[in-house]
This record gives sequence, structure tokens and C-alpha cells, in this order.
Amino acid sequence: MATEASPRSRVSPAPRERAARRARPRRTEGSGRTGPSWRVRLRRDKTLILMTLPALVLLVVFGYAPMAGLVMAFQQYNVYNGMLYSPWVGLANFSELLSDPAFWHSFWNTLLLFSVQMLLFFPVPIALAILLDGLLSTRIKALVQSVTALPHFFSWVLVITIFQKMIGGAGLLPQFLRQHGVANPVDLMANPSTFKFLVSAQLIWKEAGWNTIVFLAALAAISPSLYEAAAVDGASWRQRTWHITLPGLKGITVLLLILNLGYALTFGFEQMLIQRGAVGPNSAEVLTTFSYIYGIVNGNYSYGAAAGLFLGLTSLILILAANRVAHAFGEDGLYRR
Amino acid sequence: MPVYIPPNSAKRFDSQPGHPKDEGVPTMTSPMSRRGFLTASAGTVGAVAAAPLLAACGHAGGDTAGATSAKKLTQILPDYVPANSVKADIPSLNGSDPGFISYPANPVHTVTEVPGAGGTFSTITPLWGSIPPAGNQYYQAVNQALGASVQINPSNGNTYAQTLPTLFAGSKLPDWLQVPGWNEVSVANFGNEVQANFTDLTPYLSGSNVKKYPNLAALPSGAWQAGVWNNKLYGIPVYPGTNIFAEQFFYRADILQKLGLGTPEIKSAQDLFDLGKEVNDPKHGRWAFDDLWQALYQPFAFLGGPPLMWSTDDKGDLQANWEMPEIIEAMNWQASTVKAGLVHPDALALQTSNAKQRFWSGAVVIEGDGGGAWVGSDAVSGLAANKGYNRQSFAPFTASGTGTPVYYLNNSCNMFSYLNKSLSKSQVEEALRIANYLAAPFGSYEYTLINYGVKGTDWSTSANGPLLTATGQKNVTNTYSFLSTPLNVQNVQQGYTQVVKDDCAWQQAAGKYAKKPLFWNMNVSVPASLATAWNAATFTNTTGNIIQEVVRGKNTIGDYQAAVKSWQKNGGDKLRTYFDGIRSKYGTA
Repeated sequence: MATEASPRSRVSPAPRERAARRARPRRTEGSGRTGPSWRVRLRRDKTLILMTLPALVLLVVFGYAPMAGLVMAFQQYNVYNGMLYSPWVGLANFSELLSDPAFWHSFWNTLLLFSVQMLLFFPVPIALAILLDGLLSTRIKALVQSVTALPHFFSWVLVITIFQKMIGGAGLLPQFLRQHGVANPVDLMANPSTFKFLVSAQLIWKEAGWNTIVFLAALAAISPSLYEAAAVDGASWRQRTWHITLPGLKGITVLLLILNLGYALTFGFEQMLIQRGAVGPNSAEVLTTFSYIYGIVNGNYSYGAAAGLFLGLTSLILILAANRVAHAFGEDGLYRR
Repeated sequence: MPVYIPPNSAKRFDSQPGHPKDEGVPTMTSPMSRRGFLTASAGTVGAVAAAPLLAACGHAGGDTAGATSAKKLTQILPDYVPANSVKADIPSLNGSDPGFISYPANPVHTVTEVPGAGGTFSTITPLWGSIPPAGNQYYQAVNQALGASVQINPSNGNTYAQTLPTLFAGSKLPDWLQVPGWNEVSVANFGNEVQANFTDLTPYLSGSNVKKYPNLAALPSGAWQAGVWNNKLYGIPVYPGTNIFAEQFFYRADILQKLGLGTPEIKSAQDLFDLGKEVNDPKHGRWAFDDLWQALYQPFAFLGGPPLMWSTDDKGDLQANWEMPEIIEAMNWQASTVKAGLVHPDALALQTSNAKQRFWSGAVVIEGDGGGAWVGSDAVSGLAANKGYNRQSFAPFTASGTGTPVYYLNNSCNMFSYLNKSLSKSQVEEALRIANYLAAPFGSYEYTLINYGVKGTDWSTSANGPLLTATGQKNVTNTYSFLSTPLNVQNVQQGYTQVVKDDCAWQQAAGKYAKKPLFWNMNVSVPASLATAWNAATFTNTTGNIIQEVVRGKNTIGDYQAAVKSWQKNGGDKLRTYFDGIRSKYGTA
């Protein structure tokens, strides 16, 4: 959720303009090209290109190069033979995977947990940002922002430990209840049926404050003159929020939603893995923990790789679909069309 | 100096003075929790590698199953010549560890000659704790005594399972390597790899050959047996014992005393339940039980684990741990304790990393833990939390309250060091002489040097035996001892003599009911096609396995039985047939 995105105040291009852009002939080398040639552009932009180089190297080394390992998914991989000499098994790993009920269980569970988390989590930073934006005292604003952003830097282990100490079976709250006559207070940390709300609460506690930053930046980019004009026209706080603030946040909200969708199938690995024991795999198994436990822990690397590849491809499809939807609504999405 | 070893892998490991057991390793994130270690290490069918048979590999011949028959074993195993140089205060009985209630005042020399011939040996050993500075005085002093340069190179024990496969795959094996039994599964085809990479020690140690190395000859035969692969002896036992139990019950005698319950007489599972009800007081933050699962195998008389172990049913057919009817009784019993609110909620949430703290602080009165927990350093930690802290264990009992208890044993040894195949004959002999030095019995001069370093620099004398100095605490830790060790003993720590006496007494009592599982101390390689059934993740996963789910009321016994059926169908029955073959060809132990 802590995705980078430059806040944009830019209003999306008018439909006509976009249509015109689309109608423009594709740029091809030499013909009908309006801008300078690539050589000129290279010389002009060389500093910028150099600046992106480290990031590019990072991406290639840690993003693209390891993808070669995906061939494992089509092999019966073992460490001695390596990727070069392990026997090929075609799609056997995939057919085993797709017929594994545990896999489908974790798949649907992933979607369920993700949807609930998104539904409950996503509005919180926006609301918090709007509230913070309305504060006049910069001191209080800075304090609240620091306090709420701090848990972002805690590891999941720590966050879950804090939750365990607070609301876990022997934690502060149940112990308080016991001492005041509640014989068997519910253990929220080990209750499978409320687990989806528990993980959402943990996520909100940990990340909501941090996620306000990007929304606060977007809010800062909304011209104060709009608010002034609205106030002069007699618009209430509610009307100003609805007609100025929220539309101003629309672009970034959609962008973040799409980016989050990309994580839909890979989210929450640590969070789920740590709590998997407490509530049981029935409620906490997600695709990432599935591929970790069945792939790495049980040493079945090919199976894990097949699950990983399936996960990656599905995520890609989700992201592209969401992007298309965003474009259909006239938003920028991941990139401008 | 935190040193951590899974409690039952080398049960008596942490019983060495000056090496207090530390529970600092597993955390909530670590997929290998305290019990995870335990479950992964509770090997009874020897160190079995879920691996294709040797036949699958071109360069390895011989038997295909990695197993060795009893008859063959007699030709392979070293003679057993018990050591008498250091006399135990409490001699071994029924397979119990010898007990020492004081540290010998004048340590005897058991090795007269300098063992080394100036050779150099690269080593890799695991270490649970901070790694001492390289080339420190302690290393220099020990190497000088050894007459060889044994290059100690400790590697993080928690990630050792990830270290090993790369060593094997990249052919970067050192001259001398430690492979804990519970890490063998991380090395695919382990049985194969042993044969391909390590020296066959049979010609050096079998029969009377071992007499050249008297300290090695004093190690129990069972421990050597677990180091045999494919009719050949490869492993040098590390932390060998005789009777090693996985976990056992412990209770806080001081709390029961305070509640006016005296010394409890537990005769059945119902008694234990009733006692639990009596001491349970969640309102004041005191629960009766921690997660007792790993200790329930004792009264309920089933095979604990993981890993998979075999016993026979009424008809004499092989049955795996989770096929035994007793395990269902045990699950039902524990589920009833969970339902009655007798189990600490953190234990139910599988927070194993602070189980010790729960017991020490008195948040839990009755727990299951490895025998290694019953040592002086535990008394120190417990007393720090609670005046009058007193850890005791229930005398052996059966769940039904009738009949004789059956306490299944773990392997006699679960850690082995191996010598690289590339070593020459003279190098192997030199290494074995060094191993003999390192295996000098508890309380000897050599043992003192290896475990405490140099007198004056690393340790000073105290009423309770050697005490590490600041320098010693920095430099001296379990390093050489992962290459070779003497027989486990119970010895006094920090002056807590009663702990040694109590533990030895319990071991002697439990030893009467010790039962060996089938294929005890026997290494069997399992074909790759059966690896999934052998791993049996449904039952053995550290978290979220079906047993935990049933016990915690999230699944039913019906779900469990369905899981067993599904396991049988998906390779379990084939695995049984395979082990039937081993049984008829090689016997069962």
C-alpha cells in the first residue's frame, strides 16, 4: 500500500483531446515524425537516462534475472541437477496444482481476505488525510501524523505481538474482562471467523497513517482558490468535500487502487504466516503462504515455482484489467494513454 | 553466551555447565519454532532422507534402501568399551544418563599423545548464538592441544537448513562437516550424498578397530548405528545418549505446594485433567496447561513425531504415527482440556517462543518440554522469576490408569559429523584421533579444555566447578563439540545438585518403560516418488497441521480420519509396502 506515486493535480485530458491523440498516426522511425531524432534525444536526455540506470540495473538483477528460475515450474527440480539438468515434466506441476483443493482454498481465501481488507482499509487513510488537512494547528497536525505513521516502521512480528498482548487470550483486554466477571472472553487473536476483520484492523493500525502522506500531498495540490470560491458561494463543508476535495483525490485514488490490485494475490505474506498457527490454515492460508509452505518448507521447489508463476500471471491480468477500467473512466491509471 | 539446541535432538546437550539453555532462537516469525525444531528433529526411523534410492544414481551401488540389516550391523559397528576414567556419582540405570553432582576436582587425562600430526582441517558446524571472534585465544589453545589446525567455522544454526544444500550442490564441502539429523531433509537424496561425499569409516572403526580410539569406543552402539548408511559407517555421533525421549511432562511443584495439593499422584489422563481443573485460575493469570501435545505420546502410548515412525497394529501390520488409534484418544483428551479452558491462550495461539517464560513466571503450571529443560540453568531462570521455583516431572503413568506405560524412544543420536571423502588415509586417522580427543568423557582434562578453554584465561574454579570468565564467555562456546562429543551426562549446574538427582531418578524410572519404535536408529532412504507421503505435511507442518486444528476445535476427528485416508491413498499405503520390504529384508532395528 505504500506505493510511490507522484501527486498529480492535473485534470484528465478532455475526451476530444484524447481522441485526437489516438487518431494521430503512430510514430515510426523517420516518417512523419515531428520530434527530434533518437540520437538528438539521447544526447539531450543522457543525464536523465544515467540517473535511471541504477534503478534499471536493480530491476534487471533482482526483478528480471531471477525470472529465469521460473523454468523450475516446468521441471522436477532438484538442487544437484540445477535448472540446466533437472528433468522436464511439462505442465505436470500445474495440473497437480490446479487439482489441489488446498491451493484453491488458499486462492479463494486470498481473494476474500484481500477484499475485506481493501474495503475496510482503503477509505481510512483518505478520511484521515481529509481530517488532518482540516486541522489549523500545524503542531497538532504534525504530531498526529507522526504518531499514526510510526507503526508503519514496525515489523509485522512486532505489530502482531502488540495485538496479542492487547487483545490476545491472555492479553490486557480479556484479562480485564475476566477480572470483571466475564468468564470466557472471546480470544480475538485465535478466532477463525473474525480473522478477516482482525487482519484489517492490524493493517489499518499499521499502515493508515503512513498512507495519508500521499493523499495529503494530493490535497495540498488542490488550489485553495477553489475552496475560497465555494465558500463565497455558500457551500457547506460537506459540499466542499464532495465537490472539491474528493474529485481532487480521484486520480491518485484510482492509481493506488490499481497498484493495490496488483498485490491482491501476493499481499500479507508475513502477516498471515505469523498468525497461521493461531487461527489455522482454514482462515489464514493465502497463496503466498501456500507456495512458501508447500514449495520451500516442504522442499518441493517446482511446485512452489508453479504456484508462484500462476500467482504472478494472475496478478498481471488483474492489473491490466484494472488499468483498462481506469482508462475507460477517463483516468490516467498506471500510465497515460 | 546463548546456545540453543532443540530440546530433544540432543537431549542432554544443554546440560553442560556454563552453557545455559537459551530460548532466544525461535521467534514468532521463525517457521521453526521451539516445537518446530522439536518436531522436525524427533527422528526415530533414523535419519531418513526423503530421497531416491541409491540405485537411482549411477555412481552408487550396494543396497537400494539405505538400510542395513542387524546381522550386517554387527560387522560394521564399533565395539563398545565403556569408559571408567571418570566415575559418575549416579550411575546409568535403565539407559539413563550418568549423573554428576560435582565437577571432578582433578580432571584426569584420557589422551596421552598429541592427537594431531600438524594437519589442517576445514570445518563447518552450526551454532545457535553469537559467533566467537575468528582465531581467538581459545581456538588457538585447543588447536595447540590437538596438534592440528582445526579451522572452526560456525554457521548460523537457524538457517543451517539453507546453508547445507548449497554446500552439497556447489561441492563446497569442508573436510569435516556437521549435519544435524533434522536438517537432512534439506539435502535431497541425503543417503546418496553421504555415500558420494563422505569417508566410509567402517575400515577405521568397525569391531575392534575402534579400540585405537578409546573415547570413541565408549559411545553407545545405538548412536553409531544411527550413523550407518548403506552398510557403511559414516557418521561420528555428536551428543549421543542411550534413552532419548522427545518431551515429558513438567509441573511447578512449588505452585502445587502453595495451593495445598502436595505431591500429585497422577495415575491416569483423567487425574491430570482433574489436577488441571484444580489449579486453573485464568482470572489471576494462571492456566493449568501449556500445549501438552508433544508430551502426550507418553501416557497415551503412541508414536510422537513428526517425522513419520512405524509401529505394528494387532495383526502385525505396519502403522504410521497418525494411524494409531491411541493418537485419536490423545487428541480427544487434549481437545477436552482446550474446551475446558485449561490451556494458556498464548499456547493455543502457537506462541511457542515464550513457552519457557510462561512456565517460569507461573502463568502455566503444567507443560511438556524436552528433558534438556531439567537442568541447573533452568532453575536459575525459574528462581529469578519466582522464589521457590521447583520443576518436577510426573512419574510414568498410562492414560487409562491401567496397564504398563509405553514410552517410545527417539534415536540415540541425532547429530553427526562427517569426514570428506577427499581426505587421505592418514588424514582420516588424524581426524579420528582428534575426534577421540573431543569425545573425552565429562569431567576429564580434555573435556574441560574443550568446554571451558584455558584455566585462568577462560575459566576460573568455583564451588560449582569451572566458571567462564568474561573472556571465556566471549570465546568459548559449542564449536569443537559439534565435531565429536562424549556420551551425554547430567551434571550439576550452578550448584543445583537436586536437579541432577531428580532428573536421573525420573530417567531411571521412565527407562523401565522405554520402547523402541520399529526401525529405531536405522537409516532408510525413501524413494522420491514417496517423498510427499513421507513428509506428510498434513500431519507434520509446524503450524496449522491437522492435529493442531482438531485439538483446538477447528476441525473434527472426522476431518482427521479423512486426512489419514487421503494420506493413505496418496502414497501412504505405498510407503507402508516399501517399509514392509525393508522389514522383511533388513529387520526393524
